[in-house]
Amino acid sequence: MPMRPSTNNAFSRPAGWGIVPVGATSLARELPIVLGGIGLFYSVITFARYWSGPVSSQAEISLHPAALPKYALFSVLRIAIAYIFSFVFTLVYGYVAAYNRKAERFMIPLLDTLQSIPVLSFLPGVMISMAALFPSRQLGVELGSVLLIFTGQVWNMTFSFYSSLKSIPTEMREAALAYRLSGWQRVWQLELPQAAIGLIWNSMMSVAGGWFFLMACEMFVLGSRDFRLPGLGSYLQTAANAGDTRAIFWGLMTMIGVIILIDQMVWRPVIAWAEKFKLEQIGSAEIPRSPILTLLRSSKLLPFVTRSLVLPLRERLDLHFAKEHETRSLTKDKNRVLHWALRAVAVVVLAAIAYAVAKVFASLATMSSAELRHIVWGAGATFLRVEAVLLLAALWTIPVGVAIGLRPRLSAVAQPIAQIAASVPATALFPIILLVLIRAGGGLGIGSIVLLLLGTQWYLLFNVIAGATAIPADLKEVCNTYQLSVAERWRRLFLPAIFPYLITGFVTASGGAWNASIVAEYSHFRGQTISTTGLGAIISQATDSGNFRLLLAATVVMAVMVVTINRLVWRPLYALASTRFKLEG
Amino acid sequence: MSSPIAERLRGAVSQAHWNVAVALLQTSGVLQAAEALGDLPFEQQQSLFRRLPLDLAAAVVAQFPYYHEYVLLHSLPAGEMRALVDEMSPDDRMRFFDELPEEAWQRLMDELSSAVAAETSGQHEPETVRVPEQQLPQPRETIIEGRQIEKCFEQPDGREIQIIAPMDLSVESDTIFALLGPSGSGKSTLLRILSGLTAPSSGMVLVHGQPLDCCSPNIGIVFQSFALFPWLTVLENIEVPLVARGLQHPARHRQALQALAMVGLRGFENAYPKELSGGMKQRVGFARALAVNPEVLFMDEPFSALDVLTAENLRGELMELWIKDQIPTKSIFLVTHNIEEAVLLADRIVVLGTHPAKIRADFRISLPQPRDRKSAEFLVYVDYIYKVMTQPELELGPITKLPCLRKPSFQVLPHATAGGMAGLLEFLNDRGGKEDLYHLAEELLMEVDDLFPIVDAAVMLGFADSRQGDVRITLAGKEFAEADIATRKKLFREAVLCHVTLIQQIQNALERKSDRTVPLEFFRDVLDEHLSQEEVQRQLDTALNWGRYAEIFTYDSETDRLLLNEASGTANSSEAVPLH
Repeated sequence: MPMRPSTNNAFSRPAGWGIVPVGATSLARELPIVLGGIGLFYSVITFARYWSGPVSSQAEISLHPAALPKYALFSVLRIAIAYIFSFVFTLVYGYVAAYNRKAERFMIPLLDTLQSIPVLSFLPGVMISMAALFPSRQLGVELGSVLLIFTGQVWNMTFSFYSSLKSIPTEMREAALAYRLSGWQRVWQLELPQAAIGLIWNSMMSVAGGWFFLMACEMFVLGSRDFRLPGLGSYLQTAANAGDTRAIFWGLMTMIGVIILIDQMVWRPVIAWAEKFKLEQIGSAEIPRSPILTLLRSSKLLPFVTRSLVLPLRERLDLHFAKEHETRSLTKDKNRVLHWALRAVAVVVLAAIAYAVAKVFASLATMSSAELRHIVWGAGATFLRVEAVLLLAALWTIPVGVAIGLRPRLSAVAQPIAQIAASVPATALFPIILLVLIRAGGGLGIGSIVLLLLGTQWYLLFNVIAGATAIPADLKEVCNTYQLSVAERWRRLFLPAIFPYLITGFVTASGGAWNASIVAEYSHFRGQTISTTGLGAIISQATDSGNFRLLLAATVVMAVMVVTINRLVWRPLYALASTRFKLEG
Repeated sequence: MSSPIAERLRGAVSQAHWNVAVALLQTSGVLQAAEALGDLPFEQQQSLFRRLPLDLAAAVVAQFPYYHEYVLLHSLPAGEMRALVDEMSPDDRMRFFDELPEEAWQRLMDELSSAVAAETSGQHEPETVRVPEQQLPQPRETIIEGRQIEKCFEQPDGREIQIIAPMDLSVESDTIFALLGPSGSGKSTLLRILSGLTAPSSGMVLVHGQPLDCCSPNIGIVFQSFALFPWLTVLENIEVPLVARGLQHPARHRQALQALAMVGLRGFENAYPKELSGGMKQRVGFARALAVNPEVLFMDEPFSALDVLTAENLRGELMELWIKDQIPTKSIFLVTHNIEEAVLLADRIVVLGTHPAKIRADFRISLPQPRDRKSAEFLVYVDYIYKVMTQPELELGPITKLPCLRKPSFQVLPHATAGGMAGLLEFLNDRGGKEDLYHLAEELLMEVDDLFPIVDAAVMLGFADSRQGDVRITLAGKEFAEADIATRKKLFREAVLCHVTLIQQIQNALERKSDRTVPLEFFRDVLDEHLSQEEVQRQLDTALNWGRYAEIFTYDSETDRLLLNEASGTANSSEAVPLH
């Protein structure tokens, strides 16, 4: 947990540094916490043993439902490890970018570009290099999948942390400076609390995105090599391959169950706990609650641990760093070594990037014109496909979203259902959709549109609902008073009001659709390969055939297209949305 | 060639028939009395003046030029002098003080203040009052000293804009120092430089004679926005600076509780800031600042975010702590734009001018605490500051020896709306056309910051006239105030085209284009050469507001273009300023 737990008044009463009272009722209350701890410990041990085990590239995926808990556990742990990496990266990168002017100038545009690059196209490269790095251990492939999940979820967290640091009110920052807070104290009392809420919401989004990538990389075929990791994703794919409807059902149920469980056990308590980090100075009426948090707070075990371990330790660290800060500010020792080390690292990184870019261009220069034409055609096809998907998604989500958003009672029923539906990563459904499509006799041309739609419509739906909910009641009353027709209402009120939300949804959906095209346009199914024209298909195909030059070229083209579309289309629209169509409030 | 009254007066005085002389003056008119009195030799004038009843003396003395008035006043003992000043009609008093030169003014104010002190110390128990005489013997010690501090900010395009002109400023012990100035005058930046939060672009800051960067001064800061950490409880907030000082838990706890008790917030230790009202939050801000036992307490507009009553209450409590020496703080440095607040609290006031900040006035206030807002001396101080702040061209106070900075060759528009000006003019017109600025602000419940731009704009357009702390409506202004909407727009259009360079330029540019439209960006670039980016935006916003109200042009925000309003353009083309 990144933040220290609520200490409230425990520390102000030194007399309370007592022992844990043990009784039958309190023991019953502690039981879930103790059991939870044991369970966590066991799963870490299991995973560690498996990781260090020998490589099993042809691991059999058992379709028996009894194997599901283990697979679910493996999948969750992969995401958790990737999340920890993301978190550490976020703190370091965000911190440096926010406080180092020179670094900021290239770190932020870089972050923006990295964010728009379709991660899935890295899948083959990363997997192969990781497998080569640890040839005899499962660790390599596992690390590959973790790395991919990491690249899928880290950017928005980093952005959030960076902008939180930048938006610390000047006077608060000055208070920290005037009262000579040590760097340590500043992190815990100012910077992390300030960033907490943004980090938590972005973490939730990231982890949801993590599921998407996890499903894709748990079962990954590269030419003749079959990188198969035991997990929920590979289970679902295997089940779809086998056409085992019962297994598919159980797999989906487990997946939904796990996602709901994580939501209830992790995110709800964390959000409720993070309520105190809200910057607004006025108490809000609606406070998120979580039974789990209430359980933890009423526990006697945790405060005991806090009092006897965490608080004394924190006290010592606080004072230690305060003393160090005092002496250092007096001696004015400007940590030259660290300064030069950072500079050296920056130079090395820049050199590496320059080398890689040069290599890419050298390799691209040898492309044949046929290959180039192939790529251009593919890019065009995928572009049209993505735009068609956005249009289709908008066509059904705008009316439905507005209908839900305007009716609180409908929203109370529809929102949770939609959330559960959206929580199932589209990649997990791909094999199942394929199964249905092929049984129905359709090709991947239409199929890929369905697949993309599946992955991207939710962004739009939720944003439209949020926008419609935010329409002020008095504006709706104005429409009623002047008896505006339905068409007028849409034109004058609903569409302009949801416009900013719609654009936000489009930006996310567009990026997601490009990325998903890699999986959607090309697929192995029951031993056969089905594909359609498209940039995503080219990437997957190049991967399969080991044509790395083509893979590279297609990836670069896709990244460039995504970045260009963002800059030329979505950014200006977004700027318009945040000025003209912003509802003051 | 003297009047008969003068003859008789001289006769009575020469025979020392004072009663006769006084009766003579009482029966004649004020003007004649003053004339007769002025004809006497000076010693006799003084003797007779001392014997005049208060009301007559007050009326007569006001007829003399200020230097004569000043000497006559000084023929009275301090107590009587003060009574006389109180007796003078407010207009006479203001005029007199306005005309006094700086040094005479400061001396007279000090004398009057000490007279008040003598009176109050006779009535109240002496220990509650810091009588100036008691302090004067022990010399004030300089705690923080700024030497030739200057601040420039770099614009995104690389140009440097001077925010603070080089100046000397020091914070002394036993003093409440108030820094006054209009918004954007760089007061807060100056506070940040002296407190070590920001480094000056040039010059240096000394703490007890040593450079700031090799020793950290023991200071506390109270912020306008409170700057409390919302995720920490009240007590944890107060402990934040104590932790930074490496204080161990029990001592830290005790000290924080003490500070909390001092501001009257015991019982709220475990509340979160969001549960508190604005006034209570600022109390926590004070407690956090006082917990470290600061040598200098810096306050940046500490009462501005609070409502009037809460602010008054908090000011009172702070002054009580200060006067009764219940806080170890040696000096308080207050930044404010509230003139009354400064006069209420401060021992020394520095008034800043803008663009860039420079010292316009620096004087002491020796009125004893607690001060009476209604007393004549208080009002004189307030009025004086208004005078300084409304007349930027007036050279007052210690003249800076620096080469005069080049005056901006272009006109800077005050940020006022046409509607605001109309409101002000209507109000003035209802009040008989003339009003004291201080009273105006008081009656309109406006801060100086909000009022000044409106007055300046009205003056710029020739609708009003501002002199020595008064605003007067002009004939044009009166016509405007009494006109209907259409006529108002016409008058406004004429005034704007006659007086406002930027709008003239816009109109000219628009008329020269065949399609009668020009991108706003063009004028942005023109202004960019002189002003910071935010200021450019505000200038354009103001020009747009005026031009649109005057119906000279319209503005299309979607294309960011200005369009000439043809109807008015042609109607007024004869009055428009000729092209270059």
